[in-house]
Amino acid sequence: MRYSQFLFFEWKQFKRSSSFQKGIGIKIVLLLAALYFIAAFTGLGLVAYYLIQKSFPQLDPIVVVNNYLIFWFLLDLTYRFFLQQLPVMNIKPFMLVPVKRSTIIHYLLAKTSWSFFNWLPLFFFIPFAIILLVEAYPLIQVMGWLVAMILFTLSLNYLNFLINKNNTYFYGLVSLIFSFAALRYFNIYDITVLAGEFFNKMYSLWYAFLIPLLLLVLLYRRNYAFVRKSFYLDDAIRKEKKLVRTQEFSFLNRFGKMAPFLKNDLKLILRNARPKQVLFMSFLFLFYGLIFYTQETYSDSPAFLVFASVFITGGFLLSYGQLVPSWDSEYYKLLMSQNIPYRQYLESKWYLMLVAVIISFILATPYIYFGWDIYAMIAAGALFNIGLNSFITLFGGALNRVPVELNVKAKAFSNTQGFNPTQLLIALPKMLGPMLIFYIPYKLINFNAGLLALALSGLIGLMLKSFFLNKIESIYQKGKYKTIAAFNEKK
Amino acid sequence: MIRVENLSKKYNQDEVLHIEHLEIPKGQSFGLVGNNGAGKTTFFSLLLDLIQPTTGHIVSNTIRIDASEDWKPFTAAFIDESFLIGYLTAEEYFYFIGELRGQSKTAVDVLLAQFEDFFQDEILQKKKYLRDLSKGNQKKVGIIAALIGQPDVVILDEPFANLDPTTQIRLKKIIKDLDENTETTILISSHDLIHVTEVCERIVVLDKGEPVKDIQTSQATLEELEAYFNK
Repeated sequence: MRYSQFLFFEWKQFKRSSSFQKGIGIKIVLLLAALYFIAAFTGLGLVAYYLIQKSFPQLDPIVVVNNYLIFWFLLDLTYRFFLQQLPVMNIKPFMLVPVKRSTIIHYLLAKTSWSFFNWLPLFFFIPFAIILLVEAYPLIQVMGWLVAMILFTLSLNYLNFLINKNNTYFYGLVSLIFSFAALRYFNIYDITVLAGEFFNKMYSLWYAFLIPLLLLVLLYRRNYAFVRKSFYLDDAIRKEKKLVRTQEFSFLNRFGKMAPFLKNDLKLILRNARPKQVLFMSFLFLFYGLIFYTQETYSDSPAFLVFASVFITGGFLLSYGQLVPSWDSEYYKLLMSQNIPYRQYLESKWYLMLVAVIISFILATPYIYFGWDIYAMIAAGALFNIGLNSFITLFGGALNRVPVELNVKAKAFSNTQGFNPTQLLIALPKMLGPMLIFYIPYKLINFNAGLLALALSGLIGLMLKSFFLNKIESIYQKGKYKTIAAFNEKK
Repeated sequence: MIRVENLSKKYNQDEVLHIEHLEIPKGQSFGLVGNNGAGKTTFFSLLLDLIQPTTGHIVSNTIRIDASEDWKPFTAAFIDESFLIGYLTAEEYFYFIGELRGQSKTAVDVLLAQFEDFFQDEILQKKKYLRDLSKGNQKKVGIIAALIGQPDVVILDEPFANLDPTTQIRLKKIIKDLDENTETTILISSHDLIHVTEVCERIVVLDKGEPVKDIQTSQATLEELEAYFNK
C-alpha cells in the first residue's frame, strides 16, 4: 500500500461525491478569490518594505514587521480555524488490510501541508525576502528568517489540526489568548513586545530557525500521537454509557405547533458536541465589541462599529443558522416523511434565532458603558439581525447540503467543520449589508439617520416575514430530493 | 388504498424499478421479496417521496405522493436508522413522533404499554440516548414509533433483520394483530421467506426492478417462493 494508492482513492471519493457537482459558478468565484488573495499578498510583499520605510523612517522595516508578526500569525490561525478543510478519511476499511497504521497517519498529516492556507503566506514572505535582498540585507540572515517563517506557518497548520479536533487544546488556546489580551488591555503586561523581540531573533540569529523547526516537529508528533490514539473503533464498539435524563421542556408548549421542534432543537444543542461548540463560539461573539469600541481608529468610521454591533447579537444566529438544515442531516429522512410542513420547521428555527438575538441583546447591556450611541447601534443591529439577517442565513442554509455529524469532536478522521467556502460567499451580504445600509444615510444625512435606516430595514424585513419564509420554503421544496440524497451520503 | 401507475426509476440509464400497475387494497398486509438490488428499498423510498420517480406516480388514498404532502398524516415508516433521532431517549423520541401525529402523551403511553413485552425491558426507562442503543434495540424503537397515531399505511423495510429470535416472533404477532384487528395497510420487505409468508396475505416478488410474481399467500406459497429463488 503506497501513498499513491491513497491519493487514488481520495480522488475517486472527491469526484464521486455530490458536493463535487456544486455549481461551476461558485468554483469560478472561488478561483478568482484565490487569485485575488495571491495577488494581494504578493503586492503587499513587494511594497511593504517601502511603505514601512516611509511611515517609520527611523525604524528598520524588518524590525517593524517582526514586531507585528504575532498578530499576523494569530490572524492566520483564526482564518484557518474557520476555513481550512481538515483531512477526512474513512479508516475502517484500512484497518484489516496489510497497511501500516503509521503509513496512513503520515499520509493524512502530510496531506494537510498542501493546503492553500500554507501557500498563501509564502506569497507575502518570499517577495518580502527578495526585496530585503535587493536592499542589500545579508543573505544568510534573510534566508534564516524566511525558513523560520515557513516553519511557523506549517506549525500553525498542525496547531490548527489539534485545536479543531480536541476541545482541551481549543479552550486552552482560547483562554491563553484571552488572558494575554486582557493583560495587554489593562496595561499590566504586553506579550507582544516579547513576541516582537522573539521574532527579531529569528532574523538576527540566522540559526534561530531551529526553534520553529523544533516546534513543528513537536506539533507534528503531538498530531501523530493524537491520531494514532483514535485509530481504533473502540468508540463504535464500546460506547461510553452515561445515564441520561428524559427532559420535558414543557414551558415551550406555549409555542403551539412549533413546540416539538423547539424542544428538539434545545436538546440538539445541549446534547451534542458540535452544537455545544457553536454555542460557546457565539458566546465569544458577545465580546466582539471590545475589540472595536476600544480602538481610537474605529471611532471615526462608524460603519466598522456597525459591523461589530451586528456581530455582538448575531453570533448564534450566524453560526447556528448557517447549518440549518444540516443540523438535522442525520435524521432528515424521518423529518421528510413525517407529518411536518416545511413552514413549521423553518419558523421554529427562526424563533430559535430570535430568542438567541434577544438573549444576546440583554447580555450586551454592559456596552452602555461605551455610550448610548454604541448601545443604540447594538439595538439597531439586533433589529437587523432579527428582520433580515435571519432570513439571509436561512436562505444560505437552504443551499448548503453538507451533512453534519452531530456528536463528533475528538474523532480525528472526520471533518468536524461545517464552514465551507460557499458559506463564506453567502456570508458576505450578511456582513457588508448592514454596513451599507448604515453608511449611505450616514454620509448623506447624519449618524442617527444611519441607525434609523438600519433599524427600519430590520422592521421592514420583519413585516415581510411570511414572504421571506415562503421563498425559502420553495427553495427547500425544490431541493428536497437533492438534499435527501446528499445527507444520505456516508461520510 | 395504494395505486401504482407506470412507475419507474432510472439512475442515468439504469432502470432500477419498473412497475406497470399495482394495487394494494386497504387493510392488506403486503410483502415484498427479492434479491439485493431488486428495487425494494427504491419502491419504499418512492412511497415516502424520498426520491423522485422518473416516470409515473403513486396514489395513496387519492393523494398523489409526489405532488402533495397530504399523505404524510396517515403514513408512517421505518426504513433505517436515519429515521431515529440519536440524541433523544426512547421516550422522548416516542413523544416527539406522537406530537407530530397529534397524539397526547397519555395516548402514546397507552400504546407503549401494549408493547412492553416486545421491548423486553431494553428500551423504556433505560436512561440512554438512542444513538447508544444496539442496532436491534434501535430497530425496536423505530418499528413501534411507526405505529404511533394509528396510521393507515405502515411501511417497514426489513423489519426482521438484526432482531433477536424472541423479538422476531413477537414482531410477527404484532403485525398479524394489526392485520386482523385494524384496517391498517402494512407494507413489509424481507429477505426471510418464512417470516414473510407467515405474516403477509399477499407477496410480490421483485426481480431487477420488475414484479415477476404476485401471490395470495397459502400453504404452498413458501415452497413456491423457495423454488423460485433456487432457480
